Amino acid sequence: MNKVKLIIAREYLTRVKKKSFIIMTILAPLLFAGLMVAPVIIAKKTMESQKQMSVLVIDENDFFINKLEDNAQSVFTYRSGDVNEFKKELTTGKYDAILHIVKGNTSLRANLFYEKDPPTRFAAGLERQLDKQLFDKLLMDTFNIQPKQFEMYKQATQATITSIRIDESGNEKASNADVSKIVGMVFGLIIYFLIFFSAQQVLRGVLEEKTNRIIEVLISSVKPVQLMLGKIIGVAMVGITQLVLWIVLTLILIVGVQFIAPDLFTGNPEMMQIAMQTQMNVGVENLQPLQTIGTEQSLAQNSVFEQIQNYFNISFTALILCFLFYFILGYLIYASLFAAVGAAVDSETDSQQFVLPVTIPLLFAIIMFVPITEDPNGALALWLSMIPLTSPVVMLMRLPAGVPLYELLASMALCIVFFFFCVWLAARIYRIGILMYGKKTTWKDLAKWIRY
Amino acid sequence: MQLLQIQNITKQFSNHLALDDVSFKIDKGKIFGLLGPNGAGKTTLIRILTRITTPDKGEILFNGKPLTEKDLENIGYLPEERGLYKKMEVGEQAMYLAQLKGLSHQEALKRLKYWFRKFEIQGWWKRKVEELSKGMQQKVQFITTIIHDPELLILDEPFSGFDPINANLLKEEILFQKEKGTTIILSTHNMASVEEICDDIVLINKSKKILEGNITEVKNRFKKHRFVIEIEKNDRLSEIELPNNLSLISQTKKLHSETFDIQLLSNISSNELLTYFMEKGAIISFQELLPSMNDIFIEQVTHNEESRKQNAESIKS
Repeated sequence: MNKVKLIIAREYLTRVKKKSFIIMTILAPLLFAGLMVAPVIIAKKTMESQKQMSVLVIDENDFFINKLEDNAQSVFTYRSGDVNEFKKELTTGKYDAILHIVKGNTSLRANLFYEKDPPTRFAAGLERQLDKQLFDKLLMDTFNIQPKQFEMYKQATQATITSIRIDESGNEKASNADVSKIVGMVFGLIIYFLIFFSAQQVLRGVLEEKTNRIIEVLISSVKPVQLMLGKIIGVAMVGITQLVLWIVLTLILIVGVQFIAPDLFTGNPEMMQIAMQTQMNVGVENLQPLQTIGTEQSLAQNSVFEQIQNYFNISFTALILCFLFYFILGYLIYASLFAAVGAAVDSETDSQQFVLPVTIPLLFAIIMFVPITEDPNGALALWLSMIPLTSPVVMLMRLPAGVPLYELLASMALCIVFFFFCVWLAARIYRIGILMYGKKTTWKDLAKWIRY
Repeated sequence: MQLLQIQNITKQFSNHLALDDVSFKIDKGKIFGLLGPNGAGKTTLIRILTRITTPDKGEILFNGKPLTEKDLENIGYLPEERGLYKKMEVGEQAMYLAQLKGLSHQEALKRLKYWFRKFEIQGWWKRKVEELSKGMQQKVQFITTIIHDPELLILDEPFSGFDPINANLLKEEILFQKEKGTTIILSTHNMASVEEICDDIVLINKSKKILEGNITEVKNRFKKHRFVIEIEKNDRLSEIELPNNLSLISQTKKLHSETFDIQLLSNISSNELLTYFMEKGAIISFQELLPSMNDIFIEQVTHNEESRKQNAESIKS
């Protein structure tokens, strides 16, 4: 046991002392914090810097004259005449844009001229204004209803659906499929990279000992299994250290930023939405439910984390604990398989033929993330979250949407059983493989070593 | 008193028999040469002694008791294919290997400091292994092999990678270890060093033991009755005529003497040879020419292989 401790200490210390480890440990939180903070800052800056656009309206139909409402985005001036005459006024800076409505009776055609690009959603805002005017006209001309009256009817007949999930203990919780999906994907990807990266380190370590020829010196002092386990545990501790440091440093950075600029994470909901969209940067059409379910006040007061928390069907702590469990077990499974591969081959290039079949399940889990997160309790998601080679990734994709406790426990139990099987298998390949040089190992050889 | 008893060791790999019923004993405090051509089964035997592999049949007794995991702390092994962690600092690495052999941190540090001073490599403690030359790495490797003061040292081709000066340093260190009472197994193809430092040898060929014994005894066993006589120069020497049962292999003329290399044939003793030459002039030296270990090695291995072939053929026919 004492010797395993020595091995673990060496594996841990040599890696933690590496420059690349220190650099990664410092840089990654800066990156994470940057990813969290930058969109908020950008959103805030855009909102602040958005100047009012001065828009010249030339309506050849004379329909919109004096009807468009000035707002934070735009101020309207109305003129009539040839649009070409006014175009030069854009260059002098008198107007920022010209809205030219083309003469016509049926559908509305309009052009927007500008010299400097207007803010992203400026054109959309204009369209909404024009639509509203046309719709109001329709209401009044065809149905003889006043727009205000229509609004009242509309309010009175509006139905709202709030998704509420009831868990096993009967607690009710507002739920949101979109957020679950995104968080599930993010966690799935993170755990995939962590497992893969750490297991790869074990493979390299084993290969290093083999190609350095230090292996024979070592196994005349310790048993091969001790060496393998020591390496696997040592690298795991490096991974956990890095993970913990990342989380702690990222939190410190974010808290630090909040302290320096306290109003950064609080503000109006619209800004938060821009920030969220930029952060997640996925084509989620509408994050509107974020505001309609959560009370707007709490949204404005709480931190980003707490807001996200509101939409999970699982507590943040439980999620983190599950994350740690699946990271450690998934790592242990893959690391022991990779250790066996490292022992069986002579060089990293040769390792591909064995690494690929082992990692295909993991890749498959990542590729399948859309169907899994779309239907987190479907057959595909269920089975992939039970098979130990895919469950670490898939279970984390499913978790934010809520998973029955017995399924979670079954998946965890399978993971543990499979881990022991993998270590046994790996140890049998390892003890023979590490002393094999020169000959290219085949699958047949591996089978022979296992039985030997 | 025997340190190691190797009893009927047989080891079968999937496609070949590596060791076939090999038995011999190694005396305490002796340097024991483990000889044999490439692929004879030496490395397999060493790996069994270091418990890296297990024999299919047979037993190893260490100090009279079956070899156990615990005994590994009393064995120092320098493999032929050896290496160190390239990116690790020399001192750190030596400490690690010493502790793996069961030394406490303090004890390991104390002993390493002594050895680093003795081998004049104190300045390398903080250097990375990859910065060291091959010879320097071998020194570090040797230190880590003997650091735990083992009762048994197994050295597989220890001289490879050393320049003559350092090879000599290593040889002296091996002899010093012997004087301290350490038993040493030396596996090498360098027959000159076998002759120089080994007490006993065993020769393995094609997974079988074909020769064993004390080195002088073995040499005598294979002596060819060849003698070298040096005689002071005189006129009569050029017209010398040897009797039938003596055959002249070579005659070398020097400034003041001549040397005769004579092979005794049947029915003649060395004394008769000496008497014959005493009449021819003043004898300066008279010496029996024993075969070198190199000759014995080559002869025994080829002889062994031929007889095997014959056996195989006779079985066929």
